[in-house]
Amino acid sequence: MKLFNLSGRKTLEEASPVAFADWKDAPHGTAISLPQDVEVEDLRSHLNELTLIVLEFPIFRDGRAFTQARSLREYEGYKGEIRASGHLLPDQAIHLKRCGFDSVALPEEANTQDWDEQLSRYQFYYQNTAVSPV
Amino acid sequence: MTQSNSHSVGHYQYEERDRAFLQERINEFEGQVRRRLAGELSEEEFKPFRLMNGVYLQLHAYMLRVAIPYGVLDSRQLHKLADVAAKYDRNYGHFTTRQNIQFNWIALQDMPAILRELAEVDMHAIQTSGNCIRNVTSDEFAGAAKDELMDPRIYAEIVRQWSTLHPEFTFLPRKFKIAISGSPEDRVAARFHDIGLLARPSEHGPLFRLFVGGGLGRTPVVGQELFDSVREEDLIATLEAVLRVYNAFGRRDNLYKARIKILVQTIGLEAFRKAVEEELSRMDCAAYRLTPEHVAQIRARFAVPDLQAPADAASLFEQHKQADPAFARWVASNTHPHHHDSYICAVISLKTPGAIPGDVTAEQMHGLADLSARYAFGEVRVTHLQNLVFGHVRKDQLYDVWQGLQKLDLAAPNVGLISDIVSCPGLDYCNLANARSLPLAQKLGARFGDAALQAEIGALSIHMSGCINACGHHHVGNIGLLGVDKRGAETYQILLGGDGGENAAIGGILGPSFAEDEAVEAVARIVEFYLAQRQKGESFAAMLKRCGLKAFKEVAYETV
Amino acid sequence: MKRLSRPGEGEVLLLTANRLLDGRIVWLGEGERWRESIAEAKRFSYEEAGPALERALAAAAQKEVVAIYEVVAHDTQPPEPVTAREVIRAHGPSVHPDFSYDDALARTPAQEKERAQ
Ligand code: HEM
Ligand code: SF4
Repeated sequence: MKLFNLSGRKTLEEASPVAFADWKDAPHGTAISLPQDVEVEDLRSHLNELTLIVLEFPIFRDGRAFTQARSLREYEGYKGEIRASGHLLPDQAIHLKRCGFDSVALPEEANTQDWDEQLSRYQFYYQNTAVSPV
Repeated sequence: MTQSNSHSVGHYQYEERDRAFLQERINEFEGQVRRRLAGELSEEEFKPFRLMNGVYLQLHAYMLRVAIPYGVLDSRQLHKLADVAAKYDRNYGHFTTRQNIQFNWIALQDMPAILRELAEVDMHAIQTSGNCIRNVTSDEFAGAAKDELMDPRIYAEIVRQWSTLHPEFTFLPRKFKIAISGSPEDRVAARFHDIGLLARPSEHGPLFRLFVGGGLGRTPVVGQELFDSVREEDLIATLEAVLRVYNAFGRRDNLYKARIKILVQTIGLEAFRKAVEEELSRMDCAAYRLTPEHVAQIRARFAVPDLQAPADAASLFEQHKQADPAFARWVASNTHPHHHDSYICAVISLKTPGAIPGDVTAEQMHGLADLSARYAFGEVRVTHLQNLVFGHVRKDQLYDVWQGLQKLDLAAPNVGLISDIVSCPGLDYCNLANARSLPLAQKLGARFGDAALQAEIGALSIHMSGCINACGHHHVGNIGLLGVDKRGAETYQILLGGDGGENAAIGGILGPSFAEDEAVEAVARIVEFYLAQRQKGESFAAMLKRCGLKAFKEVAYETV
Repeated sequence: MKRLSRPGEGEVLLLTANRLLDGRIVWLGEGERWRESIAEAKRFSYEEAGPALERALAAAAQKEVVAIYEVVAHDTQPPEPVTAREVIRAHGPSVHPDFSYDDALARTPAQEKERAQ
């Protein structure tokens, strides 16, 4: 796995996230991996123990994690790292960043040049997001 | 407001940053095309990106769908569309019911070059397809109609900008269509959109009535009122909240159940409203507040036409009508009252009987652009019924306009009449079709083409779709036609009683489907029955209500 | 493996696709080459078509085609598709006889454009 940094925050490379299914009956640890059908409100009482939340993309077209990330940042006030993992394309770099993701877990052989290029593409955006006001 | 000039009336004028944004967007797409051709992107991965840039793979070739935001074009843009049609396509384009134009014969490798040409005149194809917020549509008489409450286009532009490359709502469960009108008469089919907005002024500033969950397609649903009076400052926050609920909970396991209408139906309007209100209560509303300053900034980039007319404009117009009955007939069907007494809105029918509904050749586009530059402040609008509009024409000049339209073969006096047929491309072009729709539309157009006959029949709409996706809005035609596949053969169902406006209604299916020629005959019998049995001044809808579907059914199936 | 349509009596299967670059409809011909005219399409029995489709799908990227699938056609000369949809794909849009593919073999893209004007 190779981590691509979106937000500039130092990423927690060493953390090993626990799957939500294992975590939910016995919450433990500081890193967790969340499928798209979980409502982030379910984490509320443990959020300040968590330093890394991985949001999973089973397929790049499934955009629910964008809303999960924004809910974490905007409604829950979560300040730790948010990481995207799964099937992702460099074309999604700015969407991820602007919804509050800090990092992307890529396969070892991934070409990060396309990701870099995409991040610096636009000089401005047309809409406010809670994490990156225009 | 800015000074009016022929390039600017009616739509937002781009700034440098908007142009730079378009260039970057094209660079991005060019890179995606390159990666696709190099095999770095699979077709499955490439598809959403090409769709979000308006590129479909159709039956015969790639199709490019270009956005005409809230339906307003300027003459420079229309000239450019003509150039694209001539240079990259087969010399014509197809105007759609969603205020877009489609080119049917484009090569993938030409797409970036075409998008660059379009960007020269501030046009794009962004989000004209794909599972994102689509081109925002509006009223074709916006800013001109006498009956308008307020001009919706400034808000349509605000929504366009807000939705452009929205980071959270670009990978939705399914497409999302927003329409906005500022007229008491719904001319955008607001109740048949994912979100329909009806704007009105109040002492406290503009208010928006918001409908949610409407749509046609496989499951036709009339949208329900979510909020009666959304304030201007809350407009964007409210849209954000609705989209968030949809993005989180809309179905993704079944393409046919993925639209917001299914979500609203499944959980119910009350539960949906509660979820939206819950979002709003938690949202940082300051971050999403639509400020008066922002509205003013956008408004300042819209030019208004400088409406001046000689004192005798209206009387000259009356003289022209008296002198030329053909002109008078065209005026009777193809115009709409303007808020300025010396002006009028002219509707240009793209339904010349026997021609393909919505198709316009490059020469016609150039001609229309010239006419609009000369007589209509360089502005051309696209209607949701596949016609064009010159919004502001001086009454004394309308006769010249009409003569110019005649030379272009675009002066059919049939707007709102039976041969003003809305039709999707159907099986001749579309990958998803069950049956052709264009030949049937052509036959029906020819059958009822006689101007006197049409005038006698009066207002009556025929809408035709080649499959259940309902791009031709067959459910909302007084007479709807739907192509269905019967073991590889094309047949047509007839629906009666639809309405896309204020009295939104979904047509009822008459019975088993007809072969093409039988369908033409059945429609003809239905129309004859209406002519014979209607009471004085009775509309088709009213007579249908009085006599019942069954009576029409008997007539339709009489000789089959 | 995808389930194929079954040709009936006097019918065969053809394989079709769109060319990646320009979207043009093509038919799989002899030597596994994609051809512009249905007249050059190779005929397959139900049994032969499955493996042929698999090979065509595997080679799609190099051959620069997309959306490959099988079409049932009457075993005539040239083969004539059974469904309305495939007839239109084989011959061109019915509302534009001027865009017919039937004599397209002889024309270059430039001529094609000229004809359209
Ligand atoms: C030729 C290429 C086209 C394709 C492949 C296509 C495809 C589709 C599909 C799949 C849907 C249904 C989506 C859903 O319900 O989730 C749809 C809806 C729609 N299309 Fe098209 N369409 C095409 C052309 C057009 C044209 C030419 C028009 C205008 C004349 C149009 C206007 C619409 C409208 C207004 C709807 C919304 C109907 C609704 O409310 O569900 N489309 N289209
Ligand atoms: S209604 Fe069906 S046939 Fe017509 S354009 Fe839409 S998808 Fe194609």
